[in-house]
Amino acid sequence: MKRIKAVVLKEAFHILRDPKSLAILFLLPVVMILVLGYSLSFDLKNIETVVIDYSQSELSRSLIQKFSHNQTYSVTQMVKGEGSQSPEETAEEMLKSGEIKQFIIIPQDFSSRIKKGLISHIGVVIDGSDSNIANIVHQYNEMLTFGFISELRDLKDIFQISTKLYFNPENKSVFYIIPGLVAVIMIMISALLTSLSVSREKETGSIELLFISPLQSHEIVLGKTVPYVFIALIEGALILAFARVMFRIPFRGNLWILLVFSLVYIVTGLSLGITISTMASSQKVAMMATLLITLLPSILLSGFIFPLDSLSPILRAFSYIVPATYFLEVIRGLILKGAGWKHFASQGLILIGFSVLFLVIASVKFSQQRKAGK
Amino acid sequence: MTDQDIRSVGAQLITARNLTKKFGDFTAVDKINFNIKKGEIMGFLGPNGAGKTTTIKMMTGLFRITSGDVWIKGLEVKKDINQIKKFIGYMSQKFSLYPLLNAYENIEFWGGVSGLSRKVIKEKKGLISNEIPKEILNQQVKDIPPGIKQRIALFSCLISDPEIILLDEPTSGVDPEVRRNFWTKIYELKKQGKTILVTTHNLDEAEYADRILIIHQGRIILKGEPSELMKARKTDSMENLFKRVVTNHETN
Amino acid sequence: MRIFYLFKKELIEILRQKEMLVLIFVAPILQTIVLGYVVTTDVKNIPVQVVNLSQTQDAYRIVNRINHSSLFDVKKISHIPEDYISIFKKGTAKAIIILRDGFNEGRRNLNYPEVQILMDGIDANTSGIAAGYFNGIVRHYIMTDIQKKGIEFPLKNKTVIRFNPNLESINYMGPGIVALLLTIISMFFTSIAIVREKEQQTMDTLLISRLTPIEIYTGKALPMALLGLIEMGIGILVVVLVFGIFIRGNLGYLLLAAAIFLFANLSYALLISTLCTSQQQALFFSWFSMVLFLLLSGLFTPVENIPSAFRWLADINPLRYLIRIIREIFLKGNDITYFINDLLIMSGITVVILSLSLFNFKRMVSK
Repeated sequence: MKRIKAVVLKEAFHILRDPKSLAILFLLPVVMILVLGYSLSFDLKNIETVVIDYSQSELSRSLIQKFSHNQTYSVTQMVKGEGSQSPEETAEEMLKSGEIKQFIIIPQDFSSRIKKGLISHIGVVIDGSDSNIANIVHQYNEMLTFGFISELRDLKDIFQISTKLYFNPENKSVFYIIPGLVAVIMIMISALLTSLSVSREKETGSIELLFISPLQSHEIVLGKTVPYVFIALIEGALILAFARVMFRIPFRGNLWILLVFSLVYIVTGLSLGITISTMASSQKVAMMATLLITLLPSILLSGFIFPLDSLSPILRAFSYIVPATYFLEVIRGLILKGAGWKHFASQGLILIGFSVLFLVIASVKFSQQRKAGK
Repeated sequence: MTDQDIRSVGAQLITARNLTKKFGDFTAVDKINFNIKKGEIMGFLGPNGAGKTTTIKMMTGLFRITSGDVWIKGLEVKKDINQIKKFIGYMSQKFSLYPLLNAYENIEFWGGVSGLSRKVIKEKKGLISNEIPKEILNQQVKDIPPGIKQRIALFSCLISDPEIILLDEPTSGVDPEVRRNFWTKIYELKKQGKTILVTTHNLDEAEYADRILIIHQGRIILKGEPSELMKARKTDSMENLFKRVVTNHETN
Repeated sequence: MRIFYLFKKELIEILRQKEMLVLIFVAPILQTIVLGYVVTTDVKNIPVQVVNLSQTQDAYRIVNRINHSSLFDVKKISHIPEDYISIFKKGTAKAIIILRDGFNEGRRNLNYPEVQILMDGIDANTSGIAAGYFNGIVRHYIMTDIQKKGIEFPLKNKTVIRFNPNLESINYMGPGIVALLLTIISMFFTSIAIVREKEQQTMDTLLISRLTPIEIYTGKALPMALLGLIEMGIGILVVVLVFGIFIRGNLGYLLLAAAIFLFANLSYALLISTLCTSQQQALFFSWFSMVLFLLLSGLFTPVENIPSAFRWLADINPLRYLIRIIREIFLKGNDITYFINDLLIMSGITVVILSLSLFNFKRMVSK
């Protein structure tokens, strides 16, 4: 134990003597969560729509109103096209250039057909390049036209569909994004902290001193990881504080439990970092590997942006080895939904399991290299 | 040697006047004056941090001269460094070889970058193969022992056959045998008519030079021929000479 | 040409670092493939619980529809009310559909069961889409039923989706991922190129050689550019072959855009390189800016949503323009006139940043 303490102290001094790096290490996550927290959003603000109304009837105007009165839509009417173009051609151009997300064509006989009891069609052309948005636009359209006809035919009285959003009644995507950001940033920073530790010593050659010291490999690995816990924890707390204060993410659960889970998660990150560190031959390799391992998987395979349920089985399997997946479940459940900690005991255990696994691998690698006399 | 060479033996090739370098408030080199004659071996001595490297870097244009100037072959370093580069060779403290490349590749690089033709580069490669075994030369520089590295570095530095050779701590970290071989090489170069400046913190190497300058805290505290200096101060070793001079300097 | 020797040396140095090679070529391409598959934001398999409190036939039929839809994964169908919050908290379902016999405003029976859609609002993205789907299913049922009864539902939307008829998001994201990986690689490596020289202490000798600072600068940047272009080619090939993305537009334009993008990124990396004193710092900063560039590029979330205070970050971000161009070319098959602006902006960014970094480099080498 005493020997581990020696390693810890040495590492701690090393950290403290480099205030510039320390400052950057603290500044980085803060800036990231600030900038990204405000800038990332799924909210669809404006569906820019052009309507070409050939009917020019009371009915058609009333239909158009249904769209234009809706907050999400931004409707302009086009009477004629640009230059020698037909309105449709101009609208297609606008679609291509991205000026509008869709255009609607109301045919001349729109009103007369409805009045006669025949089926009337309106043409809707949506920009499908962003499939997510196209989907939403399509859904909204359908809902609006359905609403229009139900009113027309007094069908409002025969059915009722309502939607209620739990925990996030205003459907703010911040609720969705901030926890994800927190999970991603925390593991990136934690892993980065330790990933440089051993590889730096390899570069300067001081690792040989460690090799010949009487310390056991696992003692060295532990000793090098421990001092960073404190730093990482402070950073984690900072990030969470920002989430709470700046983005007003409600913390419905127990704060202390959250901190405990954060600690566990951070340790996972630190252990991952030190493992990478033992396997990389230089700092730049370590850094790059850390980035590649923590960034994309945490964003794409953790349920941050893409729902896990929708993934194919193979990919779903991958998500099980991404630590961020588990922490995200904890954050979302604990903080946003206010669920009890018991629900997440298994997540916590899995994360601890990861940490142990990583530390074991790191120790083994370290011994191997020691024996090989590298 | 041509007539001009004969006439200019002993002529001043390098002159420094009030050469000063300041880093902010800190004066690293303080108004030093010296000259180096054509065909001589000049030694800059002094402890680490005395200003030797800074002086060389000013002479090569790597550092901006704060005040004063250096003339090399009649050209001002401040103005015509690009011309001057054409006839100087420089070897830095760390030997400036690329660790991931092998010796041949390093030579090819430095030769090519100096503007040598492919034919000449090939010749050079052949030349060094005569002195050092091919197996070693084919290894990556990081795996080559320091003594041989030094020779390769020197070779690369001389590849464009410069008139003036500036060597910054070329013998640091090498064993006495290698050091001796190095100086043998330097004498050969002198015989070829080259002018050589060597900096070192090894005082015993001073005796190899024609003239020496002792730099301490940015100032020249002694210059002249080693043997005469030692006679004058009645000391038998450079180390004692140095100690005496430094103490004098510091108490003044 | 003297600079050729520098070029050759850089290439040798890069290629002799085996770990870096793996990280540069193998890992990113592997990741592209794996992650390319992930990136189906097509929502499906939403775990849902159905609470059917209505005895009507309609209710059963609606429940059936939901059950048979591949969009949903019906976990449980119950006939008594449940503790809905608890279900969400436990995470057993992301959506709960409640059907009951309801009343309208006039206190009369509704003809159809009242449908309440409860969503777990935490997965805000999915909930919106899922709610829409539910709505659609119920609506569709009601519409068809009404029609059977003889009441015509007189309005139908004939919706056409342009550019991406199957709404496959791989078409949308795939090329973006390639661009992103290129960003990682080129930025990282280039940013340490200059710093590495400083640390190796060979910079001085390099400067004394007959090479001018501009030549040194170019000689270091070009090999990276070359490798980047090769990797880009491989990356695009992989994406097209593995995912079968159909490039509707002109491939030449795509390559041109990607090349300009690469240079823009390299110029940022070089700038970072000239500003940092150690490889570690350079890595730090390129890593940091890369993350920002990645997330603020419009790849995951729309750029329009970025508040004006931070909008400038997206404006100086080459990836943002490349994403736009890629989508234009891949999906819309647009002519160059549509994205010539983006190309010009990217080139402009490159020139400005490159000049800045060159200026810095010169300043840095003449102390």
